[in-house]
Amino acid sequence: MELLDRYLEAVKKHLPWQRQDDIIAELRANLESQLEEKEAALGRPLTTGEAEDWLRQMGPPIHVAARYQPQRYLIGPALFPFYLYVLKMTFFWATVIWTIVAVLQIAAQTPSELTVLATVLRLPGMLMTTAAWVTLIFAIIEFAAARCPGKFPMLAPPSANWSPGDLPPLGQQLAGGKKPHSFAHAVAEVIFGFLFLVWWLLVPRHPYLLIGPGVLYWHASPFQLAPFSVLFYWWVVVVNVVQLAWRSADLIRGSWPRPRTAQTIVVSAVGLIPLGLLLSVPDHAYVLLRNPALDQAHYGAALNSINLSIHWSAVVICAFTVLGLVWEIGRMSLNAYRKRTAAMR
Amino acid sequence: MTLTENLFENLRLELRRGCLTLAVLAELRQEYYGYTLRKALAERGLEIDESTLYPLLRRLEAQGLLTSEWREEDKRNKRFYRLSTDGEQMFGQLLGEWQAINASISNIL
Repeated sequence: MELLDRYLEAVKKHLPWQRQDDIIAELRANLESQLEEKEAALGRPLTTGEAEDWLRQMGPPIHVAARYQPQRYLIGPALFPFYLYVLKMTFFWATVIWTIVAVLQIAAQTPSELTVLATVLRLPGMLMTTAAWVTLIFAIIEFAAARCPGKFPMLAPPSANWSPGDLPPLGQQLAGGKKPHSFAHAVAEVIFGFLFLVWWLLVPRHPYLLIGPGVLYWHASPFQLAPFSVLFYWWVVVVNVVQLAWRSADLIRGSWPRPRTAQTIVVSAVGLIPLGLLLSVPDHAYVLLRNPALDQAHYGAALNSINLSIHWSAVVICAFTVLGLVWEIGRMSLNAYRKRTAAMR
Repeated sequence: MTLTENLFENLRLELRRGCLTLAVLAELRQEYYGYTLRKALAERGLEIDESTLYPLLRRLEAQGLLTSEWREEDKRNKRFYRLSTDGEQMFGQLLGEWQAINASISNIL
C-alpha cells in the first residue's frame, strides 16, 4: 500500500540512523498484519479515506518516531534547581560587576543622557550572553552525567550533602516583633533604587533634573560649587550602588524577609563617608564665588550664610546617621546576646 | 478539551503508564510479536495504542527485560518478544509491589 510506505518513510526520517531500518521493518510487519486483518474482515482493500483514518490513529510520523527515542533533556529535573540557582546568582553578580564598570566608564567620560542610556541598553544583551553560557555549561554536565552515570560524582547535584541546620530562619520570627518585608516591597525598593541611580547619574549633565527651572537662576548667579562636590557626588553613587546591589542580592536569593541589620549598618557606615567629606571641607567652603574680586563685597554675606546652612545641615544629618548606626549595632549585639543565652539554656 | 478534562487525561496517563509495563511483562511470559501482543492485551480489556506499545517493547528489550528474535511467520518476517530471565525476576518484584499498592488502595477506599 503506497500510503503505508509513505507513512513509514516519513517516520524513518525522524529515527536515529543506527536503528531506523530495524524499527521500520518491525513497524511495517505489525502494521501490515493489522492491515491484512482489516481487509480480510471487510472482504476488500481499504479505500484511501479508510487508510488515511487508520494511519491518522497511529499519530503524526514525528510523534511516532519520538516515542522510539529515550526521553531527552537539555537540563534534567535533578539538575534543574541547581541550574536555576546558579543562573540567578550569575545574573546578580554579572549585574553588579556590570554596574560598577558602567559607573566607572561613565565617570571617565562626561555623563550624558546618551551615554547612560546606551550603557543601560547594553545590560539585556550582556545578561542573555551570560544565560547562554550558563545553560551551555549545564547542558554539557547533563550530557556527561547521562552518558556516563556514576563516573562524574563531582558533577552530581549536591543534594546528599545538604544539612537542615543550613536552612534560613523563618521570616516571621524577626526580632522585636517587626513584620518581615513583603516581596512587593523588596521589588519596589530595587526598582526605585535603580531609577534613583540613573536619575542621579544624569544630574551633572542636566541639572534641571535636580533644581528644575532654578537652573537658569543658578547659571546667572555669581555662585559655583567648590571642586570637592565632584568627589561628594561619586561617593553618593557608591553608597547607592552598594545598597542597590545588596537589595538585589536579597531579592534573588529570596532572603528579603530577613532582618536587614547588617545591611543597614554597612550602608550607614558607607554613607558616613560623603557626610564626613562635607564636614571636612576647609572653612565650610561648599559654594564659591565665580569672581571673588568683583563679588565679595556684594555677595560675601550671602555666601557665608549659604555655606553655614549647608554645614549645619550636614552636621544634623551626620548626627542622625551616627545615632541610627549606634542603634542598629546595639540591636544586633542584643539579638546576638539573646540567641547565645537561648542556646545555653 | 477543557482544563479539567486535560488534567484528568494527564493523570489517567500517569496512572496507566506503570500498569501498562506490568501488563506487557505479564503477557510476554509467552511469546508474541507486536501486533498479536496488542490484540491479546485488548482481548483481556487493556487497549494500548500502537505508537505506545511498539516503542515500549524496544525500551524493555534495551533494559534487558525482554529478548527478541526475527522469525518468518505467514511469509512475513516478524520480531517476536518474550520475557528474559532478568525480566521474569523484575516481573515478580513489580507484581508484588502492584499487589501491595492495590491492597493499600482497597483498604483506603
